[in-house]
Amino acid sequence: MNGPLIVQSDKTLLLEVDHELADACRRAIAPFAELERAPEHIHTYRVTPLGLWNARAAGHDAEQVVDALVEFSRYPVPHALLVDIAETMDRYGRLTLSKHPAHGLVLTTTDRPVLEEVLRSKRIAPLVGARIDRDTVAVHPSERGQIKQTLLKLGWPAEDLAGYVDGEAHPIELAEDGWALRPYQKQAVENFWHGGSGVVVLPCGAGKTLVGAGSMAQAKATTLILVTNTVSARQWKHELVKRTSLTEDEVGEYSGTRKEIRPVTIATYQVLTTKRKGVYPHLELFDSRDWGLIVYDEVHLLPAPVFKFTADLQARRRLGLTATLVREDGRESDVFSLIGPKRFDAPWKEIEAQGYIAPADCVEVRVNLTDSERLAYATAETEEKYRYCATTETKRKVTEAIVRRFAGQQILVIGQYIDQLDELGEHLNAPVIKGETSNAQREKLFDAFREGEISVLVVSKVANFSIDLPEATVAIQVSGTFGSRQEEAQRLGRVLRPKADGHQAHFYSVVARDTIDQDFAAHRQRFLAEQGYAYRIVDADELLAGNAGKGDNADDTDSADS
Amino acid sequence: MSTETAPRSLAEALRARDDASLSALLRSRPDLITPVPTDLTQLATRAGTRASVVRALERLDRFALQTAEALAMASDPATYDELLGLMAGDDADPAVTAAFPRALGTLREQALVWGPDDRLRLVRTARELLAPSAQHPSATGLGPTVAEATAGMSPGRIQEIVAAAGLPTTHDSVSAVAALGGLFTDRTRMAALLDDAPVESLDVLSRLVWGPPYGQVTAEPARHLRWLIDRGLLLPTAPGTVVLPREVALHLRAGHAHRATEPVAPPIEHAPARTHRPQVVDSAAAGQAYTALATIEELLKDWHEGGPAVLRAGGLSVRDLKRTAVALDVAEPVAAFWVELAYAAGLLASDGEADERYAATPAYDEWLELPAAERWVRLASAWLAATRTAGLVGGRDAKDRTLSALGPGLDRSAAPEVRLRVLTFLATLPEGASPAEDSVLARLHWERPLRGPQDATDDLRSRLARWALSEAELLGISGRGALSSQGRALLGFPSASDRDAGSVGPGDKLPVHKRHHPLPEGPHSPAEQAAAAARAARLLAPLLPEPLDHVLLQADLTAVAPGPLERPLADTLGVLADVESKGGATVYRFTPGSVRRALDAGRSASDLHAFLAAHSRTPVPQPLAYLIDDVARRHGHLRIGAASAYVRCDDDALLNEILVDKRSAGLRLRRLAPTVLAAQADPATLLEGLRSMGFAPAAESAEGDVLITRAHAHRTPPRSAPEPVPDGPPVPDATLLGAAIRAVRAGDLASTTPRKPAPATDRPGNGDLPRTSSAETLATMQAAVLTGESLWIGYVNAEGSASQRVIAPIRVEGGFVTAYDHTADEVRTYPLHRVTGVSELADDQP
Repeated sequence: MNGPLIVQSDKTLLLEVDHELADACRRAIAPFAELERAPEHIHTYRVTPLGLWNARAAGHDAEQVVDALVEFSRYPVPHALLVDIAETMDRYGRLTLSKHPAHGLVLTTTDRPVLEEVLRSKRIAPLVGARIDRDTVAVHPSERGQIKQTLLKLGWPAEDLAGYVDGEAHPIELAEDGWALRPYQKQAVENFWHGGSGVVVLPCGAGKTLVGAGSMAQAKATTLILVTNTVSARQWKHELVKRTSLTEDEVGEYSGTRKEIRPVTIATYQVLTTKRKGVYPHLELFDSRDWGLIVYDEVHLLPAPVFKFTADLQARRRLGLTATLVREDGRESDVFSLIGPKRFDAPWKEIEAQGYIAPADCVEVRVNLTDSERLAYATAETEEKYRYCATTETKRKVTEAIVRRFAGQQILVIGQYIDQLDELGEHLNAPVIKGETSNAQREKLFDAFREGEISVLVVSKVANFSIDLPEATVAIQVSGTFGSRQEEAQRLGRVLRPKADGHQAHFYSVVARDTIDQDFAAHRQRFLAEQGYAYRIVDADELLAGNAGKGDNADDTDSADS
Repeated sequence: MSTETAPRSLAEALRARDDASLSALLRSRPDLITPVPTDLTQLATRAGTRASVVRALERLDRFALQTAEALAMASDPATYDELLGLMAGDDADPAVTAAFPRALGTLREQALVWGPDDRLRLVRTARELLAPSAQHPSATGLGPTVAEATAGMSPGRIQEIVAAAGLPTTHDSVSAVAALGGLFTDRTRMAALLDDAPVESLDVLSRLVWGPPYGQVTAEPARHLRWLIDRGLLLPTAPGTVVLPREVALHLRAGHAHRATEPVAPPIEHAPARTHRPQVVDSAAAGQAYTALATIEELLKDWHEGGPAVLRAGGLSVRDLKRTAVALDVAEPVAAFWVELAYAAGLLASDGEADERYAATPAYDEWLELPAAERWVRLASAWLAATRTAGLVGGRDAKDRTLSALGPGLDRSAAPEVRLRVLTFLATLPEGASPAEDSVLARLHWERPLRGPQDATDDLRSRLARWALSEAELLGISGRGALSSQGRALLGFPSASDRDAGSVGPGDKLPVHKRHHPLPEGPHSPAEQAAAAARAARLLAPLLPEPLDHVLLQADLTAVAPGPLERPLADTLGVLADVESKGGATVYRFTPGSVRRALDAGRSASDLHAFLAAHSRTPVPQPLAYLIDDVARRHGHLRIGAASAYVRCDDDALLNEILVDKRSAGLRLRRLAPTVLAAQADPATLLEGLRSMGFAPAAESAEGDVLITRAHAHRTPPRSAPEPVPDGPPVPDATLLGAAIRAVRAGDLASTTPRKPAPATDRPGNGDLPRTSSAETLATMQAAVLTGESLWIGYVNAEGSASQRVIAPIRVEGGFVTAYDHTADEVRTYPLHRVTGVSELADDQP
């Protein structure tokens, strides 16, 4: 009765990290509980129906779940909660989707009333065909994804046993010369392959691309990779050619500029979701080859239309890669039903502790606005308020001061508003990468940055994702997409790539005090704080005062002080 | 009770009983001594009253009741063997034979049966209640005896039957009936007789044998029915109806009075799979007990500053219950249970103010001071004794009104008894075993078969039992469905280890005979209860988590209390942070709002830092310290107060002068800024005051302009000019005139019509109301309805003013008369009780 786990009545599990049994407990509860927060002392897991069904899908049963809770719990576990867990888990698998030799795809049940209940639903009716017998009903093969999605919403998730098509075979091997998959990457590939389809959650910089490559090497089949943008597509291609037996010619890019279809094709979300005259002209890509594996990079950003296409691709293996399952639009359940359950995840801090990602020092710099700025802020229109306070002159000066402080290191300045970035670029004498910057130009600048020819780069939100800049050690965030938590995670990820010299990374957020900027920052930081990346909060004055010795101009400090 | 001194009446039988047996009687039938009877004759009389007998019968268990029912079917008086035969049947069922003495003993103890073994008598009232009649067929399904059924039959017909049955004719009906009865009770001869019966006849008999024994026949019965009727196997009771005589039925039933005799109580079943280790049960129950305490505290904290309003009819509105359920994060029925529990324990009541609300009682504050285990004992004891049943909340009463929590109509007197019974069942199981609910209900039904319908499982007692099981679990009296040792102690049962452990192993059925019951029964004395409560508290105390004096602070601005906190710590933290998650631990989140709340409550930032540093096991994270400072920096930056007037002046010195002047004290001036004073006096008083001090102040408008004090002309609000008053009333129009004339004529008719003199009373003077007795009024009215005549009535309206009316009654029913009222010229309805009297109009009416 002195376990590390406390089971709360709201179905959260509190795990005391410093307890000697904490590791064993974590392993026992990880299959069914989502890690929600991982600050320094007590980690919070949440037991959700989705999580329990994830566990069922992975072959755990209710008894194991209950045992894990009872064994490690410090206090008696509320009986009602145990009953609820058993009942929730029992709902999974009452319905199964499978292949019938004569009728094709069928939905069968082990519990007839459940089938009756779901068939009565208006949303299910159009998705199913003839009733074959009392426990079986035919499903249109094209509705395999749709029906899974709908059944999940009805609370009766179907187990998909209909299997996968192998797709067109294509030899792919990992070229492990001088490097090897890290243990957790291997584990992720294994879990994914064993489960058939699903999502792998790894922190930014932990090598998600390699998990993709490893999975492709397992599948040995033609692969379609969906990524967020062209730059990231190029990086995937670069990585694949370098890390696998694939050659330059075998990997195609399907983007706004190039439309190559090769055994391994990398397409951007943007090109897929381009609509012309009410239709998606590039949908044919999905049918253009007999794909054996589809990889979704940054699943948490998957645009809504892609969900729709994905619903039609249920017979293909699907691998989702992401740093966080948090979706600002709350469509986590669609990811579960259409891509698949979570197959692997590892907390950021754990991977950091293993040395695969750089440790980071997160600092929020609170800037006092000048009196005139405060007045202007107070009178700004509501919709303009954030833009105004995020782009104030004072913030720019503080940003410049921080850049000066880290002179000599590779610095990224990240922001939301182009005007602000242009201005910063001008003052810092640094190139700016924004939406209108051509891809060629972007790559040129990124290369220059990697090589160290440029030490400061000002980037807009185009650089939020999948840009590999391993040498960046300092990131300064000046403005963002309001309170987006996953954007914050992505941006932090930019500096978490392990450094050649084991350098500590710095992540600065410059925030205007007593404004909406501060509220948004608090919201954005919550995710990272819960991942164990606690922010220090520093007054700009103190920071600048600390800098004073380095010969900073004191005027800035004075004007910021009020 | 020997045969030589056989008592001749119940009173004598009672007189012969010893004190112990009398006290047993009075304990089981306490209604007999309220008030205490003067002598045993009175006691016997009282024991024979219908209400008391019904009460006693309702409290019998199934087998004792069946025995009583069988005795009602037996001859009066009956012998021991006859009764046993009816119960055990011809094959002398050993289980019945074994249980029979106990059942008879129970009946004797309860004074429902008296007399020695060879002359057993059922109390007459009980016999009347249990014997069959046309309205109440016996529960045994047996019909009348041959003698009863042939009572009105012609002697000739009886002789025919006797002859047809193959018996010699006799010279009188009585001996014939006796011979017939003798044949029917003789198994061998009966069997021979029935051997000759047509197959269809046997079929008819088998349909009637288990009751109801009555059947319909046509005037010309079919041949196989004829065969039965001829031999008296079916006897006519009324035209078209026949009955199967009791003797015949008993023969066909092989002597059994009951189709299914249930000599033993159904066992409380428990599957080994549902048996947990006693430690698991105890700790689960303790966990739940802790939750119960926390929930009650949370509930009353939630209602701390003015709970929900009391409905006019009493109780909590559905919306308030919903809100409470959300606040407690439980389902509504469970929320209702907690609310009712707090109420039953006296921790919560309505405040009795004009705007009535629910609030915690002073007893709650005392309760809070108790150690946790004792707090729980208070709750659990209150629950055990409460007749209020939370399970009813949300249902509807007989008048289809919704039953609300804390409202009226929730008392069910059977609730405490059922609770105790159910928990006793739990106590008889091996430690850690939880019962199957169905078997609990079946057992309960066996013990009180007359309460509630025969087959329904939804009757009140079953529902009470189910609620008792779930509520015991909620309260932590049971854990994982099994009785916890603290619950056992609270109920005053010996702990399981004290009992003979050898008799029950896991999976065993429970021993069913009451005399094998190892458990005490009946109410305990207050002293015993207090001792039991103390023992329960002692057992529970070590199982409850120890309050902690520290929390873990984390950089994501949360604090985790990994267990219950000491009260002062919990209180302060509750102000300083918002509770995010509850259960064994509590997760608090610090927000700017919550920190501000703490500052509002009078804490300073340094207090808060010191508080956190003192109670945190880990260093206070930097973001948290920063948050507190940041909020404190802004806290109170803006100050708000009320002033009713102000003085402003560009000259600081002048204001100084005013402030130091003693005469200004009454104006209660306060300096807000060098050039501004705030006053608590209104502007006019302030002006006057300053003027009297020799200053020359000027009043200022809201916009800051100086008000010109020129005298204003006083004006009313907008008013319309008065309407002209003409010399006389306006000329009426035709409709008005017509109506007026009709009214005048009708009034005239009422007052001038000559009336018949009222019999034997003074003729009412002109203007007096007619007076007749109410019976006479009614009769006259009813007659008038038939004849269509008009009547003259006196009528007193709701305000008490009397009038006379001429009406033509149309209908008299339900205490009202509906009539055409000549005076009002319309159809009206008058309550009869307001009609003082009635008199017919004279015939020579114009």
